[in-house]
Amino acid sequence: MINIVKGSIYFVVLVLVQVLILNNIHFLRLATPFLYIYFILKLPIGFTSTRVTFFSFLIGLVIDIFSNTPGMHAATCTLVGFARMPILKIIIKDEMQESLSPSLHAFGFGGFLRYVLALVVLHHVTLFLLESLTLFDPLFLLIRIVASIVTTTLLVCIVEAFNIDAKRNAD
Amino acid sequence: MRKLLDFLIRKRHWFLFILLELVSFALIYRNSAYQQNIMFSTANVVTANIVSVTGSVTSYLNLREKNKELLERNGRLELELLKLQDLVETMKADTASFRAFVIDTARQFPYSFTTAKVINNSVSYNSNYITLNKGRKDGVTPDMGVVSENGAIGVVSMASDYYSVVLPLLNTKFKLSCKVLRSSHIGSLSWNGREPQYANLDELPRHVEFQIGDTIVTSGFSAVFPEGILVGYVSSFERQRDDNFNSLKIKLATDFQRLSNVMVITNYRQSEQREIEEEAKSND
Repeated sequence: MINIVKGSIYFVVLVLVQVLILNNIHFLRLATPFLYIYFILKLPIGFTSTRVTFFSFLIGLVIDIFSNTPGMHAATCTLVGFARMPILKIIIKDEMQESLSPSLHAFGFGGFLRYVLALVVLHHVTLFLLESLTLFDPLFLLIRIVASIVTTTLLVCIVEAFNIDAKRNAD
Repeated sequence: MRKLLDFLIRKRHWFLFILLELVSFALIYRNSAYQQNIMFSTANVVTANIVSVTGSVTSYLNLREKNKELLERNGRLELELLKLQDLVETMKADTASFRAFVIDTARQFPYSFTTAKVINNSVSYNSNYITLNKGRKDGVTPDMGVVSENGAIGVVSMASDYYSVVLPLLNTKFKLSCKVLRSSHIGSLSWNGREPQYANLDELPRHVEFQIGDTIVTSGFSAVFPEGILVGYVSSFERQRDDNFNSLKIKLATDFQRLSNVMVITNYRQSEQREIEEEAKSND
């Protein structure tokens, strides 16, 4: 029950932050951070692939509705949600408590960074490729992808470092 | 049979994954530039109300500069008015020519304006959209032109009761018929998805002469914009691949990153023009 409430709060807050603030940021005209992926990152480890995929699709669709890009974020997030389980399996070798969320504390800095990078890279590459299907401008596309990956990863790590909820869970 | 069922259940995340991806791609491909589903966009009442929060905050940020721009424009218009008044006076003085100048009272100016506020705007994607706080109830319908005090912005692509979404020049799907003011040659303006200050004017015949800094205005062919609305200025040119046409790089007159108030243009004769053009095509 608490988990449902907490999950909903994460969902609403991240969507609002994304559509009200971050969608308007174009750092150096290149990079737009997509912090809402934090929701997918923080879904509990014990969640089945089916559930993760479904919730990822949901948040992608909501972001799409707010940014007038029907289907783009939904398709990307579905892929990210689906790929989360295999990536988690590679990154954590030993057994983890299933109700826990992936966090800096549980994975250690190296492990968490690898986990975040893997999903963020997958997300951004898919998203930007989908967006520019009709447009062939590879160098500029690459620069945009890399710049956005860097800003998103940085933002995710900052939020994680200051996330009181994640700290309390770890203790 | 049992094994098959087992297999299906075990692999159910695969099926869900494929199903959701199919739904997403259906959404992507069903939404062409001009027909979008209002439910999945910011023209929807719920989403429009939420995104308008940003709009209402940022609208306070550059009031000072907006004010200055409006003052300057006011000055320009006043000057124009004085010039026209002067013209009328001289014509009145020369009664012979004034009498000969018969005003056609049956002819009305077919355009009118509705002002609207930008509540959501983006310049970072290839397909950017602008959401306005006026909709069908305010007389805003799809295919109407939208301009700011500085120049052309785009075309209304869909409208709900109280909100509408505009397809701006900064959308790779959008093309606008424009002309070089000095020579009246027609080209097609489009955006390449890179810099929000520049667009390209293509399909301009090679023999056309122009200079850096020449003014580009709307051609008025599409019945969306009146003729002669400022679009931008020529900033540089490059030859196109087939060598018969020039491609100009245009510095846009509107700063799309700082839009706050815009005007929606109603053309009373638009449907009539569309109809007769359709008829001409079908007669072909």
